[in-house]
Amino acid sequence: MLYKKFNIWYLNSFLISAIVAIPIVTVFSSFFESTGKYSVIIKDTFLFDYIYSSALLLSGVLVFTFIIGVGCAYLVSFYKFPGSNFFKWALILSFAVPSYIYAYSLTAFFENYGTAYSILKNIFGDGEYNSKIPKFDEMMGAIIAISFSLFGYVYVLTRASFYHQSQNLIELGKNLGFSRKKSFFKIILPSARPAIVAGLSLVAMETLSDFGSVSFFGISTLTTGIYNAWVSFDDLALANRLSFFLLIFILGLFILENISRRKAQYHTPVKAGFKSKSLIELNGYKALTAFLICGTVFFISFLFPVLQMMYWTIIFPKHLADLKIIELFLNTILLVVLASSVLIIFAFISNFGNRVTKSKFLNFLTTFSVCGYAIPGVILAVAYISFVSWFDNNFISFFEIKSIKSIFIGSIIGLVVVYFVRFYSLASNGIKSGYLKINYSIDESSYLLGYSKLKTFLNIHVPYLKNSVLLIGILIAIEIIKELPITLILRPFNFETFATQAYIFASQDLLEAAAAPSLFLIVIASLFILTTYRYILKD
Amino acid sequence: MNKNFFEIENVNFSTGGRNKVKNLSLKIENEGDVICLLGPSGIGKTTILRTIAGLEKISSGKISLKNKIISSSKVHVEPENRNISLSFQDNCLFPHYNVLDNIKFGAARNQKSKKKLDVDEIINFLHLNHIKDKFPHQISAGESQRAALARSLLSKPDLLLLDEPLSNVDQSFKEEIQVKLKQILNELKITTIVVTHDSYEAFYLGSKCGIILDGLLKQYDDPYNVYHFPNSIEVVNFLNRGILIPAKVTGENSLESNDLGTIKGNFIKHYPKGSNVKLLLQPEDLEHDDKSNLKLEVVDRKFRGTNFIYTLKTLSNLLIPVFVHSHHIHQHEVDEKFGIKRPIYIDHIVCF
Repeated sequence: MLYKKFNIWYLNSFLISAIVAIPIVTVFSSFFESTGKYSVIIKDTFLFDYIYSSALLLSGVLVFTFIIGVGCAYLVSFYKFPGSNFFKWALILSFAVPSYIYAYSLTAFFENYGTAYSILKNIFGDGEYNSKIPKFDEMMGAIIAISFSLFGYVYVLTRASFYHQSQNLIELGKNLGFSRKKSFFKIILPSARPAIVAGLSLVAMETLSDFGSVSFFGISTLTTGIYNAWVSFDDLALANRLSFFLLIFILGLFILENISRRKAQYHTPVKAGFKSKSLIELNGYKALTAFLICGTVFFISFLFPVLQMMYWTIIFPKHLADLKIIELFLNTILLVVLASSVLIIFAFISNFGNRVTKSKFLNFLTTFSVCGYAIPGVILAVAYISFVSWFDNNFISFFEIKSIKSIFIGSIIGLVVVYFVRFYSLASNGIKSGYLKINYSIDESSYLLGYSKLKTFLNIHVPYLKNSVLLIGILIAIEIIKELPITLILRPFNFETFATQAYIFASQDLLEAAAAPSLFLIVIASLFILTTYRYILKD
Repeated sequence: MNKNFFEIENVNFSTGGRNKVKNLSLKIENEGDVICLLGPSGIGKTTILRTIAGLEKISSGKISLKNKIISSSKVHVEPENRNISLSFQDNCLFPHYNVLDNIKFGAARNQKSKKKLDVDEIINFLHLNHIKDKFPHQISAGESQRAALARSLLSKPDLLLLDEPLSNVDQSFKEEIQVKLKQILNELKITTIVVTHDSYEAFYLGSKCGIILDGLLKQYDDPYNVYHFPNSIEVVNFLNRGILIPAKVTGENSLESNDLGTIKGNFIKHYPKGSNVKLLLQPEDLEHDDKSNLKLEVVDRKFRGTNFIYTLKTLSNLLIPVFVHSHHIHQHEVDEKFGIKRPIYIDHIVCF
């Protein structure tokens, strides 16, 4: 009987699923709503542009991230060269630079009379350098900015796959008489293919979700279309309908990513028979080439935006002085602490419930609940506002209770709820993977030693999972610090974080003012990444 | 009133919706008794232990401990409230605690016990001193198994369930630990059910042995009887110690075999004269005699340290095992003839 089973575990899982289902149901139900006349205009004019630009951006980013991610992962996994140990972890620092901040840096450096111009002027004196300096704006700029900010996904997953490849596999290739090149294409790369596809799928989802850099470069993608439909045309139904098109794209990628990720697990060997790889030591020009490739990627992806932001922060000290650093920091930390606490608590209850009940239904609900990460922040925010408005108009006003809009829209609660949907997968999958390492017979042993479920949880699970929880908390923090569209749309009035402050300055063409909040954001995210890089590289 | 210390009555044991052992009944009369369950892999021995421990539920019959029903179709005492300890076959040490802390987990429930076990005593007894500060991933499978055993013993349960407790333990330690285990179980009067596939271990540790085959408890008796008086052909085949040869009952104490001639001895069950039976012939039933005129061909010879087991082929192509002490004056090679002492006399004749 279901009612007999209905306990705290079911209640928790139902609640999480319901919250995650809100944006999905809202987007799909938009087809039953009437939209404003702008929908016709958009359909006749911009819709094709939105789709074309999104597709072009996606293709460009995928090619770039594949080359950079797989190339660097291959070099640091199979070869030893000067700096190879440093690059192993340094390359993931690119995660600290959101694509929109990269976009600001790119523009700041290459624009007319920008940093590149100043450098050339200081070295060679006055001259007409502007025409000679390449311009990375619009589509090319967005592709570069997003690629260098996202290639880390491909790098991390591919490197993990390469790392877990046994030396036996390489030796097998040698035994079959394969050259190094043939081994790479016939053995190493195919074996890592599921990991590469999983990485590229994540990149694709993030690219299609990107809002900051495409809006900065003025590219009309589906994401900016959704934002404009809501902000410029005030047409929520249209925004939801555009979201539907984007969700269809992303649903395909989500399925692809999940299948690939599952397959990637098969390539993680069991301990038995595993033989660590012996790295090939490179010398001479080969070592220099490998160093230059990884060094260039590290420089472009991380040092370049950091130095650019640092440079501007230093030469425009007024903006730094005007910046309410402590307030921005506290606001950012407040969101991080609230969101990660709520996420971790619910994820813990849900995973523990799945474990003790062994219910397939609860497992299904949990699996469904993690799909929020695939939904772009813009869609989540807009759909959430649509839902709260609909609920308020149809239910709350019916009972003549005070409107709940102000409680859930433009409030910290609203932000935490939508962050919850977006980042629940991080918390839940993190705790789930921690739990997978605890054999179920461990729990049973504990019960048989007289420990109740609660005592088992407190004495066995919590101490065992505390490092995982810390790691998850930090990963969530990194994401929330960088998060832009949800925060931008749902934040309370006059409530800014480093991300929104940087965006506001940049959108007002005050890039030099955006430098300081961007720099703080990168520094905080980098510190978090540095504390967790061992785990990121491992898992 | 049921006076048995532990009793299983007509229980079907199942796991994951699959019925593994049907309609099993078994009792342990006295506190401190050790019984062993023997059976091939996958037959459901572990399921029985898990069910007794309360990790699986039952839909029929009942299980009672100290005159209290702990499992039935209506009652299910939670595992943590049974005071039954199960030592799993696989490593189930808590991975984030060292060996000593793992073992101490067992002591938490031991507080109320009159006859307490000392942690150091148990560590010494199971040779765990050198690994007590190590974590589970730093020790071998056999060491993990011993640590888990220590933890279970330390909890001083009403009923101890051991699932293949020494399967990963080195042979050099195994016998010593078997001896000490038996000694400590006796001293502390810990009622124990041991599941094993090692018949020697079962025969040594258990005051009674149960043989589970084809989802049924085929025989539950003391080890001597299980070995010498198996009650079915399945049990004979499982223990794999002898063969069944066709013979005809010729009298109160004799049979006639086409391959071996007259066989004399004591029937454990009466068969009418003229009955055609299958006689159980175990390796120790036949004696080697070079001067005998009953010669069979050697087809295989296994050296087992204290003895050889010769496999001999009869005229009707039956393969018969025969023990010969390894200090016997000479050895027989494959294809050579091997003499069997006549008349053949078997102390207890088992026929089917």
